[in-house]
Formats: sequence, C-alpha cells, structure tokens
Amino acid sequence: MAAGGGGVIPLHHTFASLGGAFEFIFSPQASNVTGGTTVGGLDQVIELTVNQLEVTVLALALSLFIALPAGLYFGHRGTGELLAVGLGNAGRAIPELALIAFMAAAIGVGVLNLTIALAVLGIPPILTNTFVGIRQVDRATVDAARGIGMTEFEVLRKVELPLAIPTIFSGIRGATVNIVATATIAPLAGVLTLGDFIINRNVYGADGVLAGAILVALLALALEFSLAGLQRLLTSKGLKPSTA
Amino acid sequence: MTSAMLAAVGEVGEGFIQERTSDTLPCQATDKLFCFDWARENIGRYEEPTIQHLELVVISVLLGFAVAFALALLAHRRTWLRPPLLAGTGILYTIPSVAFFFLLEPFTGRSSETAIIALSVYTLQIIYRNTMVGLANVPASVKDAARGIGQTDRQILWKVELPLATPEIIAGLRIATVSTVALATLATFVNGGGLGEQIFRGGNIDFTTSIIIAGGIAILIALVFDVLLLGLQRLVTPWRRAVAA
Amino acid sequence: MAESVRYEGATKRYGKSGPPAVDELTLEVPAGEICVLVGPSGCGKTTAMRLVNRTVELTAGDVLIGGRSVREREPARLRREIGYVIQQVGLFPHRTIAENVAAVPQLLGWEKERARERTAELLELVGLDPELGERYPAQLSGGQQQRVGVARALAADPPVMLMDEPFGAIDPINRERLQNEFLRLQAEIGKTVLFVTHDIDEAIKIGDRIAVMREGGRVEQYATPAELLMAPATEFVEDFVGADRALKRLALMRVSDIDLWEAPLAHVGQATAEVRAKLAAPEVEVPYPLLVDGERRPLGWLSDRDLGEELVPGEPDAPLGPVVELDDVMRDALADLLQGESQYAAVVDGGGRIAGVLSIEIISEFLSSPGAKTDEQSAVERPHD
Repeated sequence: MAAGGGGVIPLHHTFASLGGAFEFIFSPQASNVTGGTTVGGLDQVIELTVNQLEVTVLALALSLFIALPAGLYFGHRGTGELLAVGLGNAGRAIPELALIAFMAAAIGVGVLNLTIALAVLGIPPILTNTFVGIRQVDRATVDAARGIGMTEFEVLRKVELPLAIPTIFSGIRGATVNIVATATIAPLAGVLTLGDFIINRNVYGADGVLAGAILVALLALALEFSLAGLQRLLTSKGLKPSTA
Repeated sequence: MTSAMLAAVGEVGEGFIQERTSDTLPCQATDKLFCFDWARENIGRYEEPTIQHLELVVISVLLGFAVAFALALLAHRRTWLRPPLLAGTGILYTIPSVAFFFLLEPFTGRSSETAIIALSVYTLQIIYRNTMVGLANVPASVKDAARGIGQTDRQILWKVELPLATPEIIAGLRIATVSTVALATLATFVNGGGLGEQIFRGGNIDFTTSIIIAGGIAILIALVFDVLLLGLQRLVTPWRRAVAA
Repeated sequence: MAESVRYEGATKRYGKSGPPAVDELTLEVPAGEICVLVGPSGCGKTTAMRLVNRTVELTAGDVLIGGRSVREREPARLRREIGYVIQQVGLFPHRTIAENVAAVPQLLGWEKERARERTAELLELVGLDPELGERYPAQLSGGQQQRVGVARALAADPPVMLMDEPFGAIDPINRERLQNEFLRLQAEIGKTVLFVTHDIDEAIKIGDRIAVMREGGRVEQYATPAELLMAPATEFVEDFVGADRALKRLALMRVSDIDLWEAPLAHVGQATAEVRAKLAAPEVEVPYPLLVDGERRPLGWLSDRDLGEELVPGEPDAPLGPVVELDDVMRDALADLLQGESQYAAVVDGGGRIAGVLSIEIISEFLSSPGAKTDEQSAVERPHD
C-alpha cells in the first residue's frame, strides 16, 4: 500500500493493487525509471483521456462520412452486396496492431495518419450494417411508400432509414469498439492516449498499468452507453426495442 | 516515451547508413518497405509464432464457444436470463482487449493464459447472440409439429432447433474466429506469444518488412479459417445455400 | 370526382424475348366504376394494375387517366394522385396511424390542421375510432390495419384507386364485412377503382365490370358480372367462373327483387276462428299463420295446437326460425334458410316489420322462370345501391 499524503510518492511495488491504481489516477507519483519525473495524477489522466476521445471522435466521424452514405446508397439500390458485406468480413481480419505498427514505421506518426488508420477499422462495420439494415426493411412497406408517391430519396429518408436505425447503430457501436480499442495502442504511433499507461509499464509502474486498464475500460463503456442512449432516442416508438 | 525511443532508434539506424556503403545492409536499417531477400531468408522465424498464434486462436475460440453456447442453452428456456446475459457479454465485448489483459494480470500474470481468457471473453457476445438469434429464427410451426408428434423439449432442442439454428451459429463462429485471429496479435502485450511479437516486442516496433509479413500471415490465417468455416456451414446445412455473415 | 382509366395496347415484357406479362391490354374503365381484374396467379393482373401508377413501367402501348397518358408526369407526382392499397397493407411501422393516413397530404404539402381534420374524417369513414390515430400499426389487428390502408389511399381524394387483393390476407368473416363496407363507401364517394383479385366470388360481388385474364397477360372477357355468369365468352372463362354459375347469380340479387309469398297474419289475443278462416282461403300460399305484434313484427309461427285454443296465445309453439331482410343479398338469404332447417323464412323490412315470406321453392322457381333473366338485367346495379 502506498504511504499516504499528497506530493510525490515513489513507485515501489511491482504488483498492482486497486488502491495503488486509484492513487495513481488522482495524485501524481514519482516514476523510478526516468529518474523521478512525476507521472500520473488527474491532470495527466484528463489530458490522455481527451486525446483518446479526440482521436476516436475524429475517426468515427470520418468513418461515418464515408461508410454511411455508401451503405445507404447501395442498400437502397440493392446493388454492391458483395462489396458491402465482403468489406465487412475483410475488415474484421485486419490486425489492429499490425495496422498501427505499419503506419508508424512506414507512413509516419501523427494524429492525421492515426485517424485514417482508425477509420480503416471503423468503416467496414458501418458499411455492412447500414447496407444490411436497409435491405432488411419490409419490402411491402417500401412498395407502399413508393406507391403512394414518395420519390426514391424520400423513400430512403422517411421510411428505409428510420426503420434501419437499430441495425445501423449496431454497426456504429461495433465501429466504436474497434476504434477505441485501437486508439488504446495509439501511443505506438506517437499519439498519447490512455493506452500509454498500459503499454509503458517501465514509466508508469504496475499501478499505472492497472489504472490505465480501468480507465480505458470505463471510457469504452461510457461511449457504448452514450451510443445506446442515442440509439434509443432516435428509434421510433413504433418499433420494438432493439436487442442488439 | 516510445516516440522518443523510436526517434533514437532511427538516429542510430541512420548513423549506420552513413558509415556503411556495402549492400549487405541489414533490412532493418533501411527505409525499404519490403525486402524480399530478407523475407525469403528469414521466413523460418515466423514458424514458431504462427503456431503459437494458431494455438491462441483455436483454444480461445473453442473455450469461448463452449461457454457462450452453454449460456445460450441456459437462456433459451429461462427468458429472464436473456437481458443480463446479453448486457454482460456486451460489456465484456466493449472493453478493449489490451485493457482486459491488464485487468486480468493481477490474477493470472503475464502469460498466454491471460491472453486466452481475454480473447475467449471477447468471442462470447458474438457467439451467444448468434446462437440466440439462430434459435429464435426456428419457425414456430416446425416446433409445434415436433411437439405434436410427441418429442420432448430436450429432443426438440437437439433434433430440431439446434440443427436449424446451425447456419446462424456457424456464422457467429466465423465472425468470432476471424476477429480472434486479428486480436491475438495483441497477445504480445502480455507475453502471450503469437505473431504480434514479430510486430511489437518489448517496447519496440519491428521494421516494416517484418510487420508486413506478420500481419500478412495473420490475415491469411483469418481468410483460411473463414473459408473453412463457410465450407463447414454449407456442409452441415445442405438445405440452405447462403447466409449473410 | 373520378376519372376514367383506359388501357391502349398496354404491354409489359420483362427482358427482350420471352412471353409478355401483359399482352396488348386494351380496355376502358368508365369514371366512377369498379373494374375487377381477376384470374389465376401469373396471369398478369397485378402487373396490369401497376402499369397505371407506373410501379411497373410500360414496354409498349399506353395507359390514360382521364385522357392523359401516365407517361406525361413524373412517377412520384403521378402516384400522389392515385390511391394505392396492397395486400400486405405496408403501413409504416415507425409512424402513428394518423401519420400513416396523412402521408400523401403531407407529401402534397397540406397544412397540418387540414391534414388532421381529413385524417379524423377518413378514420371514421372506414369505420375506425379516431382515437386509434395515436397508436402504432403493430398495435392494430389485421382487419384494422387494412382499413387504415384504405384510409391512407383515400386521404388526398384521388380520382383513381388501385387495390391489389386488399382483403386477401383477412379471415373470411372480416373479409365479408370489409367488402360490404367498401361497397357502401364506394356508393358514397364513387371513385374509379381497379381491383385485383383471384377470387371470382369477390369479383362478382364487387365489380361493376370484370376483366377475366389468363396466363400471358391476356383478357378473355371484359363484361358485367351478369353477362359473365350468363354468357361466358370462352371455355376458360366458363371454367374460371365455376360450374355453380346459377348459384352465383344469387349473389347479384336481393330478396326485394322477387315476389314473396304471403302468410296469414295473426295477432296475440285474436280469436283463432278468424285465423283459421284466413288459412282456409284458397289463395293462401303459406299454410302456417305468422304471429306478429302490434307493429307487424314477426314473433313466431302458429301450430295446429295453437289454433286449437280459443284465443291466439302470446307464446307460439314453433320458434320464429330464420328471418331475412328485404335488403339482403339473395345468396345470403338462401344460406340462412338452409341453415335454419326451415322451409320458410320471414322477410322483414328496414323497420323489422313483416314484408313477406321466403322459401326455397320461391327461389328455385324464380331462377328457372324466363322472367328471371330480364329481372337480373335490371338488378345489375350493385347490391349496395
């Protein structure tokens, strides 16, 4: 157990403890690697959290910008199934570590590159689920919509899209999980996120690692709940509650 | 930090380049994206990690499948279990694996065990959900007919419901397996072995040729599993041709 | 206000070669009439209907609504002026019933208030409680959903309605109710309707004119129901209409169309001697007296035992048995008679007062008499008039 009091506390224990982790989060500690510089503390935690959120939101926005219109278009037209579903399958096979490492070693570090790499992971689930979600709308409902005089765009916007929201959101949440997970190892690419606590044990110590793990988990869950809430808000009352 | 170290390594490498002029430069030190020569010579060193990787994947998926399948069978009859199980597996899925590794670490240490547990937990949601969906999609009329000819609930489950749910279940297995192959690269963070160690080891990112090879093998393994499982799905359910993943 | 629909050599072909789905269809539906397209599955009736609102595009020929070709306008604009009802209804599950009904007005840019009023009016018109407007489709029964579908099609008061097996997915009891209500509705609003069905009985009941189609998208006969039943043009039509044509004709008639018999009437407390005297009269057609109340409403049949008393008792020996109304379709009346296992049915008017007596004998006499044919011609006006 760490000795009490504020100020700088030397990291001695090699095994993490919950108490130690909490201490790490809230008060700066002395690192025994880089010779006594302070690590941890709320300020640093907030800084890294913001970094991770920033890069996550950017990547998600980019993924949505690319994948959502494409999925809606192909889904409505009924073409491009091979692409939409195939990309989803392929995307799952991409090892995030290899992606990040490759990016860092070959293309270059930085937020921009990282965002693009993360978007590569975020696009497939959104594209596939948007496509499938639109296709799965009851054909009779679409026929009726067209038959009473909606233009193709109106059919998509007023009927197909609202009815596909649960499936689409499932894809968005999946993309977010991928992106947050990969953003966690972003420090390998020079962008300091909460994952830094986890990856650099030598600097942050065992408590830091545990603290990092807890914080990352909490962040991921917070995002998931927010998205779930947003989904509930956007889903029409007339539809059954989504189980996914 | 890491970026500082990266820069340091880069400098040393450059120093190397300035001093040496022969073309027996180690591939690691050059800027080349992919050194075919080096790849050909050193491909052997990926054998062990690949085997480790396969072990990680197979064990994790089997373990995850066993647990998820059992949970699904439990929840099949007891509908009150469904929301908590769905939520529970969902939460486990949401937590990034790297974080999960180190949440487990105080208990299981830095080993492949930790990696396997985390990886199998990650598969739970997909397999559980797909199994539940597969069972739910069995037409009520078929179950009704089975009941009508006198089958017990147990017989209906094993002889009617599960066979009809198989495409969905295998689809879930496919997704889980492919995801796990990709995710298992992260096992390097807990000294779990696998191809990830050829990408990132002990604080250092390896050079691009190695990254490409390791990553490429991982993707290849994923593809092979996907095709194999797709074949299995077609084999086991000849009455249905294609199911969306 | 309705418009005519005319097909001029309308043809639909999928792919370059191969049989046409609709083959040079030429027929005219006068404004305000119901034209039923009927035939076996695959005969192209649904495709022919969809040519009108361009949910299927013409390969050749033309379709004119009120003299204007459907090709003249953009499909979406065209469809907003055509009512569209399909078998699976296709209500928008994510919108309330009211929003569903107001869908076309909303597309046309009506003000909210006007749309709301119209919605309430329509829900009542199709026999639904306007309060249902706040519910969602999933909360309604199949029959209710179908009514909403009809209301939605009528919302913008289109001159033409397309209906594709609208009552097909409903159970037989509710189907009959919906058919009757639809006919009543049509009597009020008089739209031009293209109605597709595979059920010849429904076609006969509903159609002013019927087009019998066969595979290959060809019309075998386009005629009124009576003509179809009495003079089928080809063997196909004859087979399709069915061997029970004579019985089917009963669906075209009402009880009021034929001469009913009269039964001697008796009142409670009347002296039975009087009643017996009436019975003995030679022109009596029904050998049993009918007990009626002060308003001439039938209470039951009197038996010989009843007549043995001095005064007519209040409780007759024999129950009343089947009672039919003047307005009833003859086929339904016959069914009631047969079901009641009685030889005679009392016929009452709208107020429940006795108007005559119906028997199976009367019906069969009528069918076989030469007068039946001419009478039917005039009874071609739909039973809902």
